[in-house]
Order: sequence, then structure tokens, then C-alpha cells
Amino acid sequence: MRPIVLTITALLLSATAWSPAFAQNGYYYPYSHRQATGVNGRVSALTRPAIVHAIQPVRVSLPTEGRITFYAGSPDNAQVQSTPAQPGMVPGHVYRLRISDMPEFPGVELYPTIELLDRLHPPQGLAQEFPIPIEITEEEIEIALRDQMVTKVIYLEQPDLANPIQQVGGVLTEDVRPTANLLQVADMKGRPMAILRIGGRIPDRHSATDEFYSRSPLFWNRGP
Amino acid sequence: MRLYFLALGTLLIVCVGCATDGQQVLKKNEYHAPPAEMLVRPGPMVGGPGPGVMLASAEMPAGPAGPIGPGGPGYSGGPYGYPGGEYCPEGPGPYGPPAAYAAPRTSQIRFLGPEGMSVGWQIGPGFAENQLMAPDRYNFPQAATYRLKFSHIPGREGLVVYPSLHVYPTHPTTAAYLEHNALPLRITDEDLDQVETNNFVTKVIYLPDAKYQELAIAGVEELVSTRLAPGLDPVSEADRRGTIMAVLRMGNMDLEMPGSAPPAHIGQGSSQPQSVQQTSHIVQVDGEMGQFVPPVPIGGTPSVLVPGVPADVMVGGPAGPGQPPYDPIVGVSGVPMYGYPTTGTPIGLAGPPHIPLGRPAGLKSHTMRNTTDFNVGKPVDHMLIDVRHEPGISMPDPAKYIQYTEKHPVYQQGEVSMPAFGG
Repeated sequence: MRPIVLTITALLLSATAWSPAFAQNGYYYPYSHRQATGVNGRVSALTRPAIVHAIQPVRVSLPTEGRITFYAGSPDNAQVQSTPAQPGMVPGHVYRLRISDMPEFPGVELYPTIELLDRLHPPQGLAQEFPIPIEITEEEIEIALRDQMVTKVIYLEQPDLANPIQQVGGVLTEDVRPTANLLQVADMKGRPMAILRIGGRIPDRHSATDEFYSRSPLFWNRGP
Repeated sequence: MRLYFLALGTLLIVCVGCATDGQQVLKKNEYHAPPAEMLVRPGPMVGGPGPGVMLASAEMPAGPAGPIGPGGPGYSGGPYGYPGGEYCPEGPGPYGPPAAYAAPRTSQIRFLGPEGMSVGWQIGPGFAENQLMAPDRYNFPQAATYRLKFSHIPGREGLVVYPSLHVYPTHPTTAAYLEHNALPLRITDEDLDQVETNNFVTKVIYLPDAKYQELAIAGVEELVSTRLAPGLDPVSEADRRGTIMAVLRMGNMDLEMPGSAPPAHIGQGSSQPQSVQQTSHIVQVDGEMGQFVPPVPIGGTPSVLVPGVPADVMVGGPAGPGQPPYDPIVGVSGVPMYGYPTTGTPIGLAGPPHIPLGRPAGLKSHTMRNTTDFNVGKPVDHMLIDVRHEPGISMPDPAKYIQYTEKHPVYQQGEVSMPAFGG
């Protein structure tokens, strides 16, 4: 049975709700999608050290066509793939991508990040059949081009709380109010798996780029 | 009977008193550390790094460590259908947890317009001309103030503006945004009209708090002094609404008037008195000739009594002229030792380390004896100098009582909801 994965999107991070907040059930929720990139992933890796031994397939796709470039250490280690691309990522780490050559956005390139929080537990030998789907939509790219930021939390739906509908046409995405804590909402509905952040910042041609690119490990499955 | 109850009560008090202390009776297993924001400071109203709190980037290895932490050692193949994955970093063994978060140290400023405007900046005593042409962008190191030079403004021939750009350091609420977004900065016709009519324009770029977002889709917002009601400070207003990321201040002061030395406060070493600049030492840099020099921050005025741009707050960052040290370490490279008061003792040395965070000092006696033979004449035992101000000084009574209370939420076991990935 294929896991149902939903995403929750916040159209730009806002600041204050990052402060400690109570859930509706009265519990204090210490984590937030507004925390700096990598903080939640590091918490995941530190609290469950075994998780960093896993390699989780992640399927990244663009609206229609385009190229996705993955970086491992520096621009010199760029791995250019056509959409959809499915590398193996290590939970707890953050990955910087470049999306480009999209026919809907000629000349546009953006550099989103994927912060992998958790892993799936597929049947033995079928990991490639159950990747974490991360879909970058046309609307999200348009928002990023307006110097705004999109934060999307991808979570594994809890079967008891799942909507009794068939998942067609891609991953279901739900927009929430600006003050909501996406991780908290996703945690109430299932298990947060990854955070996708898209903005308009690109590498500065005058500055060193080492700060910009991720050094997280990548794995590609090219064999049978 | 009365003695019996008295003895019983005494026994009860003794037993309870031996088993618990006062804190356990009132709040069991509850201990309070000062907030992190307070711990990073030596004490109230005192800046600098504090004890016991490592800076976020202190765990990072040497070298450029960006917003995305470096991976661990290599991984030799792995399960889940990756037989020796195509990209395997060098080194054996599995990966460790990602490195600690390091805040971005640059903010990308995107000069949107007017299109065609040349952007230069100060590099020491001179200016680097035409380094960018709007629209363009540049990564400015944070926690510093830069003097820019806007020239070749379309439709305003001959107008040159020298604004200052204050790039604020990363705040936890702005870190993710600054990693993924550029700060848009557009100079409008209205701004230039205000400058040409001897007005001062302040533009504040800030990230609004969620409660101040009017729309579900929101990004950075901009406050301009000329569009606010009189008396409103755009910086204070932006700080109230969110977290400031950059401030641009723009007037019509000409900093390159022919025949005059640049004001002391625009050059390096702003604490130095104004002096003649030797033209041979001023580097001429022009971007139209393919020359590019990064901007040099201005500021560093050590005292409010010296005019000029004040120094920025102490944060970690690349060391450079006019910038604070890279991740300042107490007692190293001129950074004051934590806990050492600047108040001198009668012997001219710094006093004993005080216990931070307002605890009472325990020193009750400090004796130093000098047994050197000397004959320097008798000291003056009574000195009288009469001074007088006309008119006399009359000021309101100083405050003698301030009550300041901070309340921080406390959550115990059973009150915290942890996500699956957080254990």
C-alpha cells in the first residue's frame, strides 16, 4: 500500500509564531518551521542517531519540465538531472538544489533547500518504490520570484486521520494561516518528513559560494 | 496533651525539612536558567559573550561553514537499493549527525532600481565606482554599515547620493528567510525628490511578525520615513512590527566635494581627527574598467562623544577592517575577559571577577601594602577649589526605584508535545 503524503504550505515565514506556542490541546510545541534551516533536522539526527545511517529516496519534481541540480559540497560537485529526480538523501541533513530550464519560467533559476527530518519504512528492497515526493509547483515559483518565501512541510499521513479520498493528481497540499506552526500542524496529522523552502536568493557572482551550497551526502541509484 | 501535639509538630517539621528543601515543596524538580538571550550577555546592560553558551557556529569546523552544515565523513555504499551509490564522498563509515547550524553571515541586497543606476561603495578613504548596475545584487556581510554611492541615475543627471546601508545581523526569526531570499531595495522617484529637497529618507526593510501580516501571502515589508506620520521613527516602528534586516539612510550630503578632505567619519579609523588625505593613497576603482573591490564597512566610533557612524553590535563574522572579530572569544584578540569589570580598583588594576547575572559579590576586604622607602614630601591633606556655574544647575530628581520583571514560560514533563522526529 503506497503511503499517502500530504504537504502543508506556508506562504512566507513569519516571525512571532516561532516563539513558544501551545497547541490546541494545551501542550507546548518546541519546534517550528520558522527555525533556521537545519535546526529541526539536527534535532532529528541527535535524538535518533540511527536515522543518519539510512538513505531515504526523495523524488523532486517540477511543474512540467526542467532541470534539477543537486550539490554535494560545492558547485564543482553538481549533479544535473531532469525532472523528476530521485536521489538518496540522509535524514537530518539539508540539501540545496537548483531548478532551472523550466519552460514556464524562461531564464529563471531558483535555489530551494530540502531539510530531511525523517525516513520512511518501506518493505525490504522496495525503498525506491516509496520515495518522499516533493513537488515544486508553478505557483510556488511565482511567489519566490516576488521576493517572498514558501515553506512547505511534507508529512506522512496518519491512517486514522487520513481523508477518505483517493489521492490523484499529485500530492495534496493544504494552505494554512500565516500564524500557524507548520510542523505542529503536520505532527498532529501525521509524521513530518521534510521541509521545503523556496526563495529568490541566488549565488552572488561577486562572492564566494561555499556558504551557499550544501555539503550533505547524495546517493544515486543507477543500477538495477 | 499540649506538649504531645507540640512534640508531634516539631517531629513533623524536622522530618519534612530533612527530606526536602523549600524549592521541592513549592515546585518539584523545577530549575530555571536565565533565558538564552540573557546568558549570552555578561550581565544586564552589558554587551559581549557570556559564559556557558557556545555560539551557534562554535561547533563548526574551521573554514567556510554556511547555513547548511557540512556532512560527516564518507559513506561506503548502503542499503535501500543504493549499491555503492554513484556519488560517495571519501572516507569510511556512516554519517554522523549534521553539524550545528551556522547562521548566514551575509545578506543579499537586491538593488531593483531605478534600472540603470550605478551602485558604488566606500573602500577605505575612497569609493569604488560603478560596482553594480541596477538591477543587480550583492552579498553584504552582516552586522556592519556600508557607505554606498548611487550615480548615473536615469533622469537625474548629475545627482550623486551617498546613502549608508546598515545590514543587521541574522536573528533566529530571519535566518531561514535570509538563507533563501534577497532583500529588495528600490530607490523610487519620491525618495530622490525628497533627497533633492533637503529631506532625509530612511528606509527600513523588515520581516513582519505573523500577527502583522495583512495577507496570507507575505514577504518583507518596507517602511519609509517620508511616508510615515510626523514623529514616527521608522526604525522603531519596524522593530515593533517585526525583525529589521536592513536600514538605508539617504540624504544629500556630498562626500566627495572637490578640494576638501573627506569627513573623518566616512573613512576608516573614524575616531581619528580630521586630517588631510594624501591623494596618492586613495585607490581609484571603477567597475566600468573591470575593477571590483568589495565594500569596506564604515563605523567603529567608540564613543557617543565622537561624531560618526557608531559601531555595530558584536556578532560572529569575518574579521576585517571596521568589523568585529570572527566569533569573538573572551580573552583573545582584544575581546574583554568575561566577568572582569572595567571599573578599576584603588591599585589601578581590574577588580576581581564578579559573579554574573546579578548575584552578589562576596569580596569584603581588599588590602595591598607598599613597603617601598620614599620621600616625596607631605601630601596635601586638604585641597580646596571653588568652582561655580552661572546660572546654577537644576535638574529633576533622579530615579531611585525601578521595578523590572521578566516572566518566562516554564513547561514540565507532560506539558510538552514532541514531534516524532524530535524523540
